[in-house]
Formats: sequence, C-alpha cells, structure tokens
Amino acid sequence: MSHILSLITFIPLLGMLVILCLPRHQKDWIRFVSVFSTALPLALSISLFLDFENGSKGMQFVENCDWIRIPDYKLRIQYKLGVDGVSMPLVLLTGILSFLAVFASWETTKGVKAYFALLLLLETGMMGVFCSLDFFLFYVFWEVMLLPMYFLIGIWGGPRKEYAAIKFFLYTLFGSVLLLLAMLAFYFHAKENPNVLDPMDAFDLVRLADANVRLTFTGLFWQVVFVAMFIGFAIKVPVFPFHTWLPDAHVEAPTAISVILAGVLLKMGVYGLLRLSLPILPEAAAWFAPFMAALGLINIVYGALVAMAQTDLKKMVAYSSVSHMGFCLVGMAANTEAAMMGAAFQMFTHGLTSAMLFLLVGVIYDRAHHRVIKDFGGLAFQMPVYTGITTLAFMASLGLPGLCNFVSEALVLLGSFDAYRTTTIISATGIIFGAGYFLWCFQRVFMGPAKERYSMMPDVNGRELFTLVPLGALVVFLGVWPRAMLDTMTVSLKNVQDAVASATRGG
Amino acid sequence: MTTLTSALYHAAFYADMVLTVGSACVVAFSKNIVRSAFSLLLTFVGVAGLYGFLEADFLVATQLLIYVGGILVLLLFAVMLTHRISNIKASNETSFSALAALAATGIFLVLVEVGTKTHWDVKGGPLGESTRPIGLLLMGDYLLPFEVAAMILLAALIGAAYLARNAIRK
Amino acid sequence: MSPTALALVQDLRLFLPEVILVLTTLLVIVLDVTPVRKSHRALLYLTFCGLLLSGIYLLRHYVDLRESGGRASSSNVLLFGNSIALDPFAVYFKGLFLLVGLLTGVLSIRYKKLNPAGEGEYCVLLLCSTLGLFLMVGSRTLLMAYLGLELVSIPSFVLAGFQRDSRLSNEAALKYTIYGAIASGIMLYGMSLLFGLAGSLDFAAIRHALEGQTELRASPLLLSVSMLMILAGFGYKIACVPFHMWCPDVYEGAPTPITAFLSVGPKAAGFGVILRFFYQSLSTHSGGGDWTPIVDQLQWPIVLSVLSVATMTVGNLAAVAQTSLKRLMAYSSIAHAGYLLMGVVVLSKDGIFAILFYLAVYVFMNFGAFLFVVFLHDLVGSEDIEGCRGLGWRAPFPCIAMAICLFSLTGLPPLGGFIGKFYLFLGVIGRELYWLAILGVLNSVVSLVYYARVVKAMFLENIPRGEAEPLPVPFFYSAAFAVLVAPILLLGVYWAPLVKLARYSSSIFGA
Repeated sequence: MSHILSLITFIPLLGMLVILCLPRHQKDWIRFVSVFSTALPLALSISLFLDFENGSKGMQFVENCDWIRIPDYKLRIQYKLGVDGVSMPLVLLTGILSFLAVFASWETTKGVKAYFALLLLLETGMMGVFCSLDFFLFYVFWEVMLLPMYFLIGIWGGPRKEYAAIKFFLYTLFGSVLLLLAMLAFYFHAKENPNVLDPMDAFDLVRLADANVRLTFTGLFWQVVFVAMFIGFAIKVPVFPFHTWLPDAHVEAPTAISVILAGVLLKMGVYGLLRLSLPILPEAAAWFAPFMAALGLINIVYGALVAMAQTDLKKMVAYSSVSHMGFCLVGMAANTEAAMMGAAFQMFTHGLTSAMLFLLVGVIYDRAHHRVIKDFGGLAFQMPVYTGITTLAFMASLGLPGLCNFVSEALVLLGSFDAYRTTTIISATGIIFGAGYFLWCFQRVFMGPAKERYSMMPDVNGRELFTLVPLGALVVFLGVWPRAMLDTMTVSLKNVQDAVASATRGG
Repeated sequence: MTTLTSALYHAAFYADMVLTVGSACVVAFSKNIVRSAFSLLLTFVGVAGLYGFLEADFLVATQLLIYVGGILVLLLFAVMLTHRISNIKASNETSFSALAALAATGIFLVLVEVGTKTHWDVKGGPLGESTRPIGLLLMGDYLLPFEVAAMILLAALIGAAYLARNAIRK
Repeated sequence: MSPTALALVQDLRLFLPEVILVLTTLLVIVLDVTPVRKSHRALLYLTFCGLLLSGIYLLRHYVDLRESGGRASSSNVLLFGNSIALDPFAVYFKGLFLLVGLLTGVLSIRYKKLNPAGEGEYCVLLLCSTLGLFLMVGSRTLLMAYLGLELVSIPSFVLAGFQRDSRLSNEAALKYTIYGAIASGIMLYGMSLLFGLAGSLDFAAIRHALEGQTELRASPLLLSVSMLMILAGFGYKIACVPFHMWCPDVYEGAPTPITAFLSVGPKAAGFGVILRFFYQSLSTHSGGGDWTPIVDQLQWPIVLSVLSVATMTVGNLAAVAQTSLKRLMAYSSIAHAGYLLMGVVVLSKDGIFAILFYLAVYVFMNFGAFLFVVFLHDLVGSEDIEGCRGLGWRAPFPCIAMAICLFSLTGLPPLGGFIGKFYLFLGVIGRELYWLAILGVLNSVVSLVYYARVVKAMFLENIPRGEAEPLPVPFFYSAAFAVLVAPILLLGVYWAPLVKLARYSSSIFGA
C-alpha cells in the first residue's frame, strides 16, 4: 500500500506544526518551511499524475484502514484515501496553486507565522477533500477547510473583512450541515437494508456508488436527500442564488487567498456533485438534471451580465467565476460524454485562469492601491510585460481557441447541444458576454493615453513572474494538447455518466 | 359515629379549613409584613389541625413544634428586629395581579378536576400510633434520606453562617 | 445487630465514594475552625485530595461492576432499601461530577474575586453540592431525587452569592434561591400527586402501579399535571425553556468558577434524573432498548421535543445579542440543554448514549470557555467580549484554546463537540424525527454567529500594526488550557474509547 496520498495530505499539516514551533520573528524560516511543505506535496502530486494509469477503472493509490469501529453500533468510519480521474487533476491543481500561493503571499507583513500556518492547514483540508473515499472523512476535511479560510479572510482581508469572513463561514456551514444530514440518511438506509449494504460500509463512497447499492436509492426521499446535498455543494460552487458570499469574500480576501478560493474551493462544489451526488444518487440526479441545467444557465448569463456592470476589477473577476462555473453545471446536467469531460476539464482550466486573473489583480492592486477599472488607463505603455500576461489570461478566460478554456467550454457546449438545445444556445451567449466584459475592461485599463500618476509603476517583478509564468504555460499547453489531461479523466467520467444514463433510461 | 358527632366532626373540619385558607390569604394579600407573619401562625396551626383529621399524630406534633414553635418564632424575631420594617412599603407589594389571578384560578381548576376525578390509592382503616414506626423507618429503610437531610441542613447552616457573618462584618 | 442494620452497614461499603466526600467535608470544617495557620488555598487542595480519593474508589466500583459480568440488570446494585442504585450509568455520571468538582477547584485557584476568608465555606459547599449530584443520578425514588436536588441547590444558592460585596452576586443568589424554591415546591406537589396515585415513591413501583391498571384509574390529566410539575423541578436544573429565566442573571453574577460548575454539574445531574425517571417510571420497555410512553394519552416525548426546540432556539437567538461573555455562555448552556433534550426524546439507548457522550465532551468545552473568562478577568480585568479585542495577538495560546472550545461548542469537526452532536443527530434521524434534526442543525448554524463573535474579537479586531506587545501568561493558565483542550482535540479524531465507555454505561437502559 503506497502512502503517497497520506503524504500529500498531511505534509502541509506537519509543516504547520513546525511553523507553530518557530519563534514568530524568524520570518524567513517560516517562509522557507512553507515553501518546502507545499513543494513536497506538489512534487508528489506530479509524480501521482505521471504514475496514474489512465485506462484503469476504479480508485488508484488506495489507502485503507479503520479509523473508528463500533461493532455494536454497526458504525465504521474508514480512513480511506484514493484518487480516480475526477479527483487526480484537482489534487494536482491544489498542489500547484498552494505552492504558488505561498509565493504570492511572500510580502505579507503582519502575523506571518499565523498566516502561513493557516495556509498550510487549508492545503491539508483541500487535499483531504479530494482524496477522501469515506463520507465521514470527506465531511471532516470539508469542514477543516472552513476555519483557516475564515481567519485568512478575516485577518488579512480588506476593509470589510469581518463581514465577508463570517458570511463565507455561515453560508458554507449551512451547506455542510445539509451534507451531514444526507450522510446520516445513507447510514440509516444501510441499517434498514443490511442485505443490500452493510451498515459498516455506509460511509464508503465506493460501496455507495456500487450498482447494486445505488439502485435502492429510489423515490421521493432520495430526491429530497439529493436536493439537500445539491444545496450543500451549490453554496460552494456557487450556484445562483447561493452565490452572494462569493463577491464579498473575493473582494476582501488577500490575493493568495482569492487564488485558492477561486482556483480550488469553488471546484469542491462541482467535485462533490461528481463524486457523491451523481454516482450515488443517479436516479435523483436524472430527475434533477433539467433544474441543474437551468441553474447553470442562470449562472452563466447572470454572472456574465453582472460582471459587465462591475467597476471593481476584482469583483468583475469574481463574477466571471460565477459565470464560468455555470458551464460545469450545464455539462453535468447534459450527461453526455463530451459534456461531462468538458465540465470536469472546466474545473481544471478555470482553476488555472482564475488563479492567474486574481494574481494579476493582486499585482496591480499592490502598485496602484485601488482596483477601480475606470481610473486606470494606458497601462500598456508603463507595464508592457504585465499587459502581455494579462492579455493571455483574458484571452484564455474568454475562450480563445488554442487556450485551455476554449477546449472545456467547447466540449460542454457541444456535448449539451443535443440534450438541452435552447439552454446550450443561450449559454453560448455567455461566452459572447464574457468576451464583451473582458475586452471592454482590457480597453479601459490598458489602452488609451498613459496617465501621469501611474508613470512610476514598476512592471511585474521576478517573484510575480514566478507565480504567473507556470500558470500561463499550462494554459497554453493544455489549450494545444488537452489530451494530456482529458485522457486521465475519460474512464472515471464514463462511470459517472453511465450511472446517470442508466437511471435515465430506467426512469 | 352518631349523627351529632359526625356533624360536629364535619363542622370542625370546615372551621379548620376556613382558618387555614383564610389566614393564608391574609399572609398573601396583607401589605403589612408584621400582620402577614402573625397570620402565618394561624395557617400553621390550621395545617396541624388538618394532620389531626388525618390521624397523623406524629405530624401534628412536629408541625406544632417545628413550624409554630421554631420557624415561626424565628421569623417573627426577624421581622420584629429588622430596623423600621413597617416603613418599608415595597416589602409586600404585588404586581401583575390580574395575570397572576388568572393563572392561579386556572391551576386551581385543573387541580380540582384532577383531585376529584382520580381514584387515589387510599390506605383504609385507622393508622394507630405512628411515632414508633416512623422512628424505626428513619433508622432503617429511610436511613439514607434521613442522613442526607442532615447534610442538607449542614450545608444550609454553613451557607447561612457565611452570608450572615459577611453582613455583620460590614 | 438486626438484619436491617447489617444490610445498611454492608451497603456502606458500596457507598464509599460518597462517604469520602462527607468525611472530606467534615475534615475541612474542622480544619477551618482550628486556629492553625494554613497556607493560602490549603483547604482547596485538601478538597482536591478528597475528590481524587473518592475517584479512586469510584474507579474500583466501576471495575467491580464490569467484572461481575456487568451487562444490563445484573450489574444493578440497589443500596439502602432500594433508594440508591449503583450501576454503570450512575458511576459514569459520578465520574463526570468528580471531574466537574476538580475543575471548579482548579478554576478557583486563581480567581481573584474569591474571598480568602471564606475558603473553608467555599470548599464545604462545593463538596456538599458534588455529593448532591452523586445522589441525584443514583436515586431510584422520588424522595432521593428530591433530596439530592436540594443538596445540590442549597449550597449553590450560597455559592452563587459568594462574592459578598458584589451587587450582581447578591442578585444572582437571590434570584437563584427564589426560582429554585418555587421550582422545587412545584416539583414536590407533582411528586405528591404521583405518590397519591401509585402509592409508592419508588420509580419502578410507580411503573408497576401504572402498568398494572386494567382500567386507567388516573385521568391522563392527572398524569400530565404531575409530570409537568416534576419536570419544572428537573427543567430548572437543566435550564430548559420555560424554566430558564434565572440562568443568565445567575451565571453573570456568580463567581466564574461557580458559573462553570452550574453550567455543567447540575445540568448533567438533571439529565441523569430525567432519564432515570422517565425511563423507569413513565415508559414501557420493548426489546432492542427502545421505550414508549407508558400511557398512550401521556405523550411526554412530544412535550419534551417541543421543549427541546424551544430551548435551543431561545438560547441561541438570545445569545446573539449578548456582550458579556458570561451571559453569552449562559445562553449557550441553555441552547445545549435543548440539544441534549433531543437525546431524551429519541427514547432509545442510542439517544442516552449520545447524551452521555456529549456531556463528557461538554465538561471540557465549557470549563475551557470559563477558564478563559477567569483568565480574562485575571489579566485584562474584563469579562466582556469587548475585553477580548485583539487579545489573540498578545496571548495566542489561551485565545487559540478558547477558539477551539467555542468551535467545538458550535460542533465543527475535527473537534469533540462535533462527534457529540453527530451521535445526537444520529439518534434523532434514526427515529425519523426529521423536523427535529433539521431544526437542530439550523440552530447549530445560528450558534456559530455568536461563538464567532468572540473569535472575531480575539483575532480579527484591533490587530496590532507591528509586533504585538505580548501579555505574560502565567504557567498555570497555559497548563490548564492544555489539559482542557487536549481531550477536545483528541476526542475529535479518536473517540472510540469514550464510545465504549458511554455505551457500557447506558446499558442499563435495555441491552
């Protein structure tokens, strides 16, 4: 049994403990430990990616042992980790973004020790969510993530940080208690039908998704459970109308935290749907698909329109995330091979581009100390390198062919066309709107006459380049050669798709 | 029992009831705390009478000795020795009287309903002498409750002493 | 020696933990009045010794019970003419109470407002109250339940008013006394009604009397009235709505260690008595450890579930507006009474087990929070949320410990409080009481609002620009916080041993 997933998950936690033991004025040591304890998981997740067998069904790198076992209660909680094609790219994404987030936070001055300790705890939580194959464990990691996020926004955030932090916390907690209730529903289902599912396996996500087991999850009750879980995940995605925490959190959060928030945390909602809701409750998922498509559509169009109306650069990027995550929903609702691939790939590509966008916003905020779009202008003359990288990120986000977002969005739209024709056509306008606000924004910020007050602004420095270039490279590489990532996902996504498809046929 | 004695018995019972409830009303409604305290004397005596009608001789004795002889006397001492107590107007004021009356009437009606409609688990026959059996029980089956009561009294004593000492020192 | 006397003496051997508490009490009294010069807090340390010694004997009882084949009824030992039970359930609670007593003592060590001249009385009253808690959970008759409750209450009245020159403390004592007297008066009346009906004070005999009736002699009204009246007494102890009014004022005015004691000890004991009384007197038992109300017309589980929801909702909503930490914790403790009541209405061994589990975690969480209040008062001189502002940067360890306690009270994993709530909700959903479960989890979300306000004040507000000026934290506090927080963290990731213990202890409620 390889312990690579445990290492990926818990090395940051160890790093956190080391940092807690360091004296608080040893800032360089603290940064060094942080780099080290995010670099190791990154290296391990790259090797995970390379060792991953694309063709094999089921989970890989599985680690399994009993965590809590109470025989007379018929309750067992496993420490079960494993990855498949759905989670593996996200582990990699988390590894990359956490590592870069450390560099993006380099200049943090106040509470350095606490900041990096929390950042590392956050990485443990995120990795844990993507690796867990036990519902209880999943839930624990899901919640573990909340606390560091609350503090990271609340302490190091902008002017309204306290409001944003508690809003984020409350929304997510509300969603997660619904998850908790859903989890208990599975347990009692197993207790009533021990011949179908041993109660000792009731939290095992692989067992729950087993064809014989999931066939028993039928009827109104499980539709209610599905909706409860959907709300839990939708808050994270965020799906309209649960999205209102997102702009606040993004605007107030420090740059690196915005990167993590947009790059990883939003993906957790979609990941939850792909890992739990769709494969375990396919019948309810098939029933709910039209609603999901409609919500996805609203996300795309509404997010794009609101983004267009923003005056704050960061808020615009935040709403563009709302819009882009809508594609994931539409793709999952359509449930064709191409659409599912698109949805899963969109998680990865949006993770890259939104991270880039937030980093870029951070760069300019550090220099200009404001983010009001219309107050900029002519930056192309003063910051040529910055302008170049921003162009790449904007083009990727608006879906220019040859860059990775084009691939994922095109797959979603192509795959959904047969299932939801009208929806797809309207969704496609989202891309047009997207082009609209990105280009308009680009024009206002970079074009026009150079302004005197920005003449002293230095261009991107080495550290910032170090965070931006790898992301840019990946954006281009995956745009040209998407199969590098798509091939790993194919088999796992096919499983999910088949589950829902058979339920649709059955019903 | 002849009719006459029966009638006398009933008359005595109702007289006792009037005494008890009437004096209790004075305790509750009088605005003068001294008058309340003295009325309490009659209430206690009335309750002792009630025990008498139940043929509980031991309880009659304890009621008279402890409540009338002990607690009430102490209470009167407290009332009389407290400085200028008759001048304190707020000592026995009532508020929300309408609401309280409503609630009390409601509870009273419920209790009457309960009391009259229930077949109580009544032990028939005269009880006879009760002091000896009570004594034996307190030293036997009910030894623990007896001792626990002692602990309660000890705690109450020490607590009261602490609070009182504190008052004197100031 | 007569046979009765012999039996009593034999029973005394199984009563040693309680006897030791009594002896310690007497020793403290004697030492207190002897004119020997005693070092500061000497009597408090003597009290610790008494509690620990009692704990050792308690442990021996526990081991004996387990060895005697200890499942279900075979391990029920009845003492003193059936008035007290020595069973795993009682032993579990007694263990908690000793812990509560010890921790209250620990909190008192550095509590400055405590009058040093009253140390002897303080210890005596604390010990008496602990003894009362012991008797409450062991009681198998209404009489013992009442006496135990009084033995808890009367010392607590004085303890609540122990700060002689504080107006708030005096007010707390007076309110507590008046409410307590009324509640126990009502309870006595209810008990007398039940006695009149059943002809016995014994819990089991009451059940037999009610079960044996071919035709119901008692109107359901009578049963409801007496049950509600008895519940008034117990509800007062656990501070559930509508018997909770005293709680915030008393918690605020009482010395902080006593507040901590009141928030855990009597509450736990109240639950112990409620469980025993409702299970042994007012329920019929079917197999599998489930129970149902003994009389169909007397649906006390519904009453209790409504009380549960009302209690947690009132507690949580009122807590949101508080500025004083102690008042906030008072409402939080009301809310927790509501959560715990969910375990009662489940009417099964699973629910009782969940209550036992939660109470154990609750001891640590609450004492951790109150230790922080003592700490705050000691070093900053405040007991308000306002006083915590920015403290997280000056005294990180105590504040992190407090944050852990608060998040555990909210019920966030991976902390012990989450596991406790998990089992409570497991029980509720297992009974298909979905509405209760949903209201319960929504309440947990609401509770985050006020717990997070404290955390916000500690860490998010008043952040120093540069290096914070550190607050020198005495070693005592660091050690005490570590001791209290370690179990919370440990039980959050590995709680199987406590589950075993709590399962075993709830085994008297049907296997």
